[in-house]
Amino acid sequence: MPEPPRHNLPAEPNRFVGRERDLDDLRGLLGETRVVTLCGVGGIGKTRLALRVAAGLLPRFSEGVWLVELARVGRAELVVPEIARVLRIRGEANRPLLDTVTARLRDLRCLLVLDNCEHLVDTCAEVAAALVASCPRVSVLATSREPLRIASELIWRVPPLDLPDADSADAESVQLFLDRAAAAGTRLGPDSLPDVVRLCRALDGLPLALELAAARTSLLSPGQIADRIDDRFSLLTTGGRTAPARQRTLLAAVDWSYDLLSAKEQVMLRRLSVFAGSFDLDLAEQICAERPLAPEEVVDLLGGLVDKSLVLCDESRTHYWLLETIKRYAVERLQLAGELEVLRERHLRVLCELQARHFATEMVEPGVPWHERLRALTSSRSLLDDQRVALDWAAESGNVPLGLRLCATSTGLLPIGGLTEIVTWIERLLSLDLSRVPAEQIAHVKAYLAYGLEARDELSRSLEVAEESLAGMSPATVFSRCVMLNIIVAVLLRMGRADEALRYAEESLAVATRTGDAWNQAAGLAGLSAVALTRGRLREAQRHGEEALARAREHGHRWIMARAAAQLGAVAEARGDLVAAEAQYAMAVPWLRELGGDADLARCLARSGRVAAMLHEFGAARERLAASLALSREAGQRQGVARCLAGLSVLAEHEGDLEGAVLAAAAAAALRESIGQHSATIRIEELLGRARAKLGESRTMSLWSRGRAMSPDDAARHVLEGERSAAGTPVAAEPVRHSLLTAREQEIAGLLTRGLSNRAIAEELVISPATVARHIANIMEKLGYTSRAQIAVWAAEHSANPSA
Amino acid sequence: MDERIVIVDSGTGLTLTEEQLDERSAVAIVQLRRRGVRVGDTVLICLPVGPDLLVAADAVIAVGGVAWPVPADLDACVLQERIQASGARVLISDLPQALEAAEESRVRIVMSVADLHSYPNSRELSTQSDRIVPSASGG
Repeated sequence: MPEPPRHNLPAEPNRFVGRERDLDDLRGLLGETRVVTLCGVGGIGKTRLALRVAAGLLPRFSEGVWLVELARVGRAELVVPEIARVLRIRGEANRPLLDTVTARLRDLRCLLVLDNCEHLVDTCAEVAAALVASCPRVSVLATSREPLRIASELIWRVPPLDLPDADSADAESVQLFLDRAAAAGTRLGPDSLPDVVRLCRALDGLPLALELAAARTSLLSPGQIADRIDDRFSLLTTGGRTAPARQRTLLAAVDWSYDLLSAKEQVMLRRLSVFAGSFDLDLAEQICAERPLAPEEVVDLLGGLVDKSLVLCDESRTHYWLLETIKRYAVERLQLAGELEVLRERHLRVLCELQARHFATEMVEPGVPWHERLRALTSSRSLLDDQRVALDWAAESGNVPLGLRLCATSTGLLPIGGLTEIVTWIERLLSLDLSRVPAEQIAHVKAYLAYGLEARDELSRSLEVAEESLAGMSPATVFSRCVMLNIIVAVLLRMGRADEALRYAEESLAVATRTGDAWNQAAGLAGLSAVALTRGRLREAQRHGEEALARAREHGHRWIMARAAAQLGAVAEARGDLVAAEAQYAMAVPWLRELGGDADLARCLARSGRVAAMLHEFGAARERLAASLALSREAGQRQGVARCLAGLSVLAEHEGDLEGAVLAAAAAAALRESIGQHSATIRIEELLGRARAKLGESRTMSLWSRGRAMSPDDAARHVLEGERSAAGTPVAAEPVRHSLLTAREQEIAGLLTRGLSNRAIAEELVISPATVARHIANIMEKLGYTSRAQIAVWAAEHSANPSA
Repeated sequence: MDERIVIVDSGTGLTLTEEQLDERSAVAIVQLRRRGVRVGDTVLICLPVGPDLLVAADAVIAVGGVAWPVPADLDACVLQERIQASGARVLISDLPQALEAAEESRVRIVMSVADLHSYPNSRELSTQSDRIVPSASGG
């Protein structure tokens, strides 16, 4: 199916000027070079060039061009999770995230743009090397002040823009300056051209310096700016003589621009450096508006900084951000002003408060309409980068109580990074000095640690942590206490200990009923239904399930509603009422879509597809299983893929394709074994029994071993597309190479068979030896050979039949 | 095959036959092209006098470029001036002083001698970063 190119490249904020040849060369290079690193000082335009190159490569990298902005990633261990987040890949239990990522990218033709690697250059190098080694069609375009220094890397040094020369003023740097000045509302006539030329030279063609200067043309003429920058430059050279000239020029320009700001604008700019990524006006007000800035001033100050090109924003002015180079400068200024600690602390505190409100709105408060709950969840998710920065600060500064508070309320953090990220953060914070932390708070946050561990399939550790949590938690924190109880229920059920689960579910229900907490009533009732189901008490299970759904609807959160509906679906399946089961699953699907939780959605779609297959609704079954498979594949979830294969096996069997059923079941079993998971052996045995009866022992066994050897994708395609033919795509025929060569090249290839040197060939054909060398290089490239001797052998073999 | 010797390295006494020279030039041309060198482009060559210099110059000319040799033993400042004056996009050199002098120039890509020699089979390109392992495919 032809899809539009997939990418996450941002819209360009203004016109891209110059660098035509560079763009062309770089796009050419990325055709054959796996890793290209754009190197150069800050402000030279690495990011912008990379984005422009990448945008031009969209047609060539049909399966995706993905920008990973590493500037917002503070720690090496978050590089892979950030890449996974961008690619929408989730971690799998018991597997390093990088393995899941490389497995997902193995057959994809895609380009990863790793922007701003310099502060994490070692990790970026390792990751890039791993990707290139295991994913033959993936290329990496990195930007960094320092090269990655890996074997497959081509280091490409980004130069400044071309400078005007004596003859012509039509240079890239001049064009950029004029373009940005015009954007700032200044029309510069031909009279000012000599000054513009002088300024561009003074700024060494550095794009960021030119933009900062152009933003000031409404007040100062290019001549005045040039004079002042010259002064500034002479000041600077006395200070840091060791820094490279370009870096000094850039610093001079940024310094100059900063000094021209009003005192309040300066305060504002340096405070804005605490944000991880983009921010909105609201957040800027909450964090930056402290003496001497009043909240009502923030919007004007921000606008002023945008006019001066120091802050960037989107067209609607909802998101603001700082260029990495400016941000670093601003951080230094913040530090010099002695405000860094204060601002970081404030950033952490504000996020804590914000997140506490979001958490209450999304989960706890009764009677909140769903769209408001969803808005709170969405806000929480959009603040993830800032939450990470804040947590990092909490750990670094030893402010464990605030850090733990953030962990206990960040619903956005839970499903990200393969559900393991919350575990990492909590474990890191708990490893610090806890003497100032109330025991109760530790118990509270352990509930979320247990939640993360359960999602990572570390059941016994999860249970252990949950029990510790329960023992230490105050009865006053009722909501989290109930959440904890329900996590224990889930873990015990998964461990096959339903009897023990019962009392936790009952306790949760009792407490939640007393406090009017609809979420936990629903969760407790769903737990009771699951316990009853394992004990074969179907009517009780149904009653609890229905009650759970009613409480869940009262709460309105789509996740808990879907959870209750899925429970009812399971009960109906156990009863043999497939129609009711399908209806329950079908109801949950749109809820989960709204929520944007792909893991739950994939599971629900797979169940719903399997039930549809049993009801002989083959079209619907195929559609849902295919959708589920796509979700799991894209997120790199082998467990989910195995689930779909098992469902496809059911589909094939009900369609009367017993062979396809065996193949898909075998592929599912093999995949499950490879990830250390048990298969549902009863169904497989039954299926194999029916297959033996109908197809015979040897046919069945040969199908089973063929299915085990098949790739999951092939096995799935076999059922989904109804392919009855043997799997395995035919090997593409060797291209006819001879016709690739021009007549002259064929002639030279022929002469090589006679062992002639370039000089001899040149004499024979009356051309220059350089031309002969060029032709031979062409032949080598076209045929993929590495020596003249190979060409000679090839030519000898083909000379008998030139048209072959 | 033609065994005629065409160059002697005065330092090491190593020789290159005409066939070897042809072979190495062909590989070097491919490598230059892969890095975007086009007809009319200036390519800086800063190598000690010897076979590598000859191969590099040969290849640059064959690719249609303008060879711009810079003596390797120049004073750092002069070296920097010459490199900047060339306006070249590509520099062929292994010498630390040349790499340093190219730092603030318009040079986009630095190729090592190993880069000129190697002809990887796949899409893989080796670059200056793996020059510790000299390629054996040169002759």
